[in-house]
Amino acid sequence: MRKEDRNMNNTIINTDNLVKTYRRYKKQEGIRGSIASLLKRTYEEKVAVNHISLSVQAGEFVGLIGPNGAGKTTLIKMLTGIIAPTAGTIDVMGYYPNDLKNEFKKQYAVVMGQKSQLFFELTVNDTLRLFKEIYEISETDFQANKNYFVKLFGVEDLMDVQVRTMSLGERMKMELIVALLHNPRILFLDEPTIGLDAIAAKQIRSFLKEINEEKGTTILLTSHYIEDIKTLCRRTVVINHGTKIYDGATDELFDRYQRNKKIIVTYDSPTDYTVQQTKQVDVVMDEPYKKIYETPKENARHLFSELMAHEPKDIVVEEEEIGIVVERIYQETGIDENGGIA
Amino acid sequence: MRVLRELFYLRFHGIAVFRLDFFAPFFVDGSLFLIQLLAFGVVYSNVETIGSWGKGEMILYIGTFSLLNAVNMTIYFFGTNAIPQKIRSGELDLYLSKPVSPLFRLTFENISPGSIPLILMSICIIAFGVSKLERGLTLAGLASYLFWIVLMEILYYEMEILIRSVSLYIVSMARMEQLEEAGIDLCMKLPGIALHGVYKVIFYLILPYGIMATLPVQSMVGEMTLQRAVYGIGVVVLFSAITCAMWTHGLKHYNSASS
Repeated sequence: MRKEDRNMNNTIINTDNLVKTYRRYKKQEGIRGSIASLLKRTYEEKVAVNHISLSVQAGEFVGLIGPNGAGKTTLIKMLTGIIAPTAGTIDVMGYYPNDLKNEFKKQYAVVMGQKSQLFFELTVNDTLRLFKEIYEISETDFQANKNYFVKLFGVEDLMDVQVRTMSLGERMKMELIVALLHNPRILFLDEPTIGLDAIAAKQIRSFLKEINEEKGTTILLTSHYIEDIKTLCRRTVVINHGTKIYDGATDELFDRYQRNKKIIVTYDSPTDYTVQQTKQVDVVMDEPYKKIYETPKENARHLFSELMAHEPKDIVVEEEEIGIVVERIYQETGIDENGGIA
Repeated sequence: MRVLRELFYLRFHGIAVFRLDFFAPFFVDGSLFLIQLLAFGVVYSNVETIGSWGKGEMILYIGTFSLLNAVNMTIYFFGTNAIPQKIRSGELDLYLSKPVSPLFRLTFENISPGSIPLILMSICIIAFGVSKLERGLTLAGLASYLFWIVLMEILYYEMEILIRSVSLYIVSMARMEQLEEAGIDLCMKLPGIALHGVYKVIFYLILPYGIMATLPVQSMVGEMTLQRAVYGIGVVVLFSAITCAMWTHGLKHYNSASS
């Protein structure tokens, strides 16, 4: 696609057959294996990203999901230029990311849930001052942006507090403020809600939604949590073993592939009552104080009502995990685990 | 410059948080410096001359290497020293995604004000060495000396980066920093003019720590020839090119760390 065409249809990220392979050293167990490895090394190629073609429009909020080791983070690292692709083409805002041009880096921000860009011994205000200079933000814009985000995140009282004394949820809000200070066109988020409690995760989701809607920031979000994706992303890309196995509407993805609900019931006293195993209800656990059932989501309401009639202590309804959704996509689309057509 | 100023402020705020972190380096670095001086004293109290150099030149040499080392400790040692660990842990990701040279930020983010007294002490030794010189100090000699100090400080920095850039290519650096420490340790005690044969090749070309304090001293005492000057500048240019290529190419090889 020509650059002018991309600009016309507002494509901000474009990859074609993107591949990233790593070489991994393998060693047989034991002392003999260690000695042998000194003389002759064995390596294996690990394909982290396998021929991924992806196109993202400006202003989109795209979810990137998949199990551990699926290649989500590797893809983000290639899109931000942190690592170079092994093959394929990549274009982010008209730049080849791994050229590491400062003009390119000024237009995006990346937040990694497991890596902090804050200085732990210092206050957030101190860190913001450094980023103001790094991104060459004028004093007026700096103050305006800082005030906007501080108000949005409700963290007025925390700006002069040492970062190390903050909770994980507070720190993540600060990470986002630091990342958004220069009004990036694209925000890459790698597991921003990891380890957060439900309230903090919900707050973060609400801020991200507002930033996407108010500022028009394109957001690419990786997450293990289905709730993040369902709440925020109209479009979802599912990756496993480095291969893209789904790219489309989030609602459709979960309608089609997330079919069952898990209902966990606990009781104050031992109970013999258990819903009978049928085609519609799978009894996963049957203990005197606790029962776990799995049922198609259409039947969940009916089962829930039935269980409520037997005075439970608590009932929790859970969605199917991402891993199960991915497995189902495999089974039904005919894509094998290596990304080929079975 | 504004980023540099902010890095300095942040570092200052950071070490001021813990009072021991702020004051301890003055004591630790000062003690190490005195131990070094003691070692020099023992070696050189029994030696009247090395080659064409008398006591004054030798004291000047000790002061010059101390100055190079003190500037290194104050400005960039603690920053550059952290590079391998940041590469191995994947922390370099955060530097690569910011619109400022990662090397610039890594170099200047751990400035150590606690080492500033070492610079002052080194200057005192240099002044003492100059007072012991048989020929007096000229303005041209001083200017030339300062020029070579700047050039050799750049070389010192490049050697540090070059050795630590290996981490971008291989996970284990096989304690290559120890090679650097041994080279510096030897050349701090022994001027380049005392090196001959294979040792001269090693410490004048391969690990050019041997020229770092020798050339500035030679320039001050009037022993700098055109040949030596060209050689010294040539080594700095060569190592600048190698360091730049190794770092830039290494970043292309960087594979980050699994999250």
